[in-house]
Amino acid sequence: MTSMGTTTFEVAVNLIKLVLVFLMMVQLVPILVWLERRGSAFIQNRFGPNRVGPLGLLQLLADAVKFLTKEDFAPEKGNRLLFYAAPVFALVPAAVAYMAIPMSVPLKFNEYTFLIQGYEINVGIVFILGISSLAAYTILMAGWGSGSKFSLMGALRASAQIISYELALGLSIVGIILLYGTFNLSEMIHAQQGIFSFNAFGHNISASWLPNWGIFYQPVGMILFFAATFAESNRLPFDLAEGEAELVAGFHTEYGGFKMLMFFIGEYGHMMIASGLMATFFFGGYSIWNLTPQEVYQWCFNLIGNEFWAGAMNSLLHFLSYLVKFGIFLWIFFHVRWTLPRFRYDQLMDLGWKTMLPWALANTMITALIIFVTSYYVL
Amino acid sequence: MTADVFLFWFLAFMTIVSGLGVVLMANPIYSALSLAMTMISVAAIFVTLQAYFLAGVQIIVYAGAVMVLFVMVLMLFDLKHELQAFTRGRATGAIKIATVGILSGLVVGAVTIGLTIGGKNQAEVASATKAAGIVDTTRGLSEALFLKNVFGFEALGVLLLVIAVGTVALSRSKGGTHARD
Repeated sequence: MTSMGTTTFEVAVNLIKLVLVFLMMVQLVPILVWLERRGSAFIQNRFGPNRVGPLGLLQLLADAVKFLTKEDFAPEKGNRLLFYAAPVFALVPAAVAYMAIPMSVPLKFNEYTFLIQGYEINVGIVFILGISSLAAYTILMAGWGSGSKFSLMGALRASAQIISYELALGLSIVGIILLYGTFNLSEMIHAQQGIFSFNAFGHNISASWLPNWGIFYQPVGMILFFAATFAESNRLPFDLAEGEAELVAGFHTEYGGFKMLMFFIGEYGHMMIASGLMATFFFGGYSIWNLTPQEVYQWCFNLIGNEFWAGAMNSLLHFLSYLVKFGIFLWIFFHVRWTLPRFRYDQLMDLGWKTMLPWALANTMITALIIFVTSYYVL
Repeated sequence: MTADVFLFWFLAFMTIVSGLGVVLMANPIYSALSLAMTMISVAAIFVTLQAYFLAGVQIIVYAGAVMVLFVMVLMLFDLKHELQAFTRGRATGAIKIATVGILSGLVVGAVTIGLTIGGKNQAEVASATKAAGIVDTTRGLSEALFLKNVFGFEALGVLLLVIAVGTVALSRSKGGTHARD
């Protein structure tokens, strides 16, 4: 983790940035909820929310008011401390992990360099995986604190699922870590910039029509990682935790009003982390197709002629590029939810332990072997 | 008081309070959650010592996986008997008081030793860490584990396997839920 800065100005900007990134995450949730409801309606040939405001956009505001004014109740037989603590804790891992994802090229202002992310941590991947694995506690706390059978069953299912898929999730990105030789997300994005090019057997192989993205090196890892993130964020086809048909609503059966909304924000936060990581690991992060930030900066500089504003425009362009990738993966999350049915529990466990884990292990071993052979022997 | 010192005292306070929670809470669920909190605090202390990889692994393995399983199993039990057994009786009270005594002794000892170390020159300590060659902790750790001490590392793995097999064998021998007879 880099320090917060040396001068008051730098520290102040870095602190404001923390708040901004958190607000960005929280403010995206209503927009995503609207997108999901409209999108699902579109897929299922319905209208969706279209009464409040233009295109139903103000429905979110109405929902927020409804959530805030609902009665705040706790089940009598439950554990009040855990019941109230769980929704608050649901927000923390999602927010903390989301802040570590880089969203654009660093912005230079006089002698300062500001990273466009909450903070940078040198072992980014390990940190994000560790923090988001803490989400299992909030589910268990909610399930047990509610004091109801449905909640407890839902919580046990959900946490068992999260623990099972964490293994496949962690192993599926070992290939990427071996390939780039770093845990740092910014360095990883740096390695994916420009055109497709790599060294093998002492020769350089390149293709000017392809970007140098991780997906071309690790397609199997990409599929395994994306599938595992669906399970981690409890989305369909892995939403056995909720299982409306048999469990009412799983671990948040007893929750209502704003506490329910906080679980919602946590779930959407995990989706955002998954989308951000997908873009970072396999689709070049914020980098633009086939271009390096230096080339983009040069273009901006020729256009504007002022160093700071060219840098700002450079950051903005890369931020937009990141947002496009981020949005595409979020849309895939929505689309899958309204396309695939739910798994049965034994199918879920079979998929996690007997299919994805061996594939991830094989992917790791083959990647290590190829990296060793291609870098060790010269033809 | 600089930010580093404040951070250390805050994290140390959190670690000790949640550690006390593990032994003093009557409800096993609270104990397990406190233990998770202790592990997270220790990971945060690792971060302040710039051992990022160790901190991450601490969170993933202990707080994220091992303790979640503990909490999960505890939630499956009927905890009313446990609660009664640990809230009443002289024996448990005596154990609690003894634990507090031992822990406060440890705290006093740590503070006294910490004061004597704090008297030493800070630059001396910094140069000592530099001399030990601690630069990139992740790389250093992997080199130590997989190159220098690879035999010991693998031997420890075998030892853990032996322990696991031994536990299964013992749990199946007499009484117990998994007994053969």
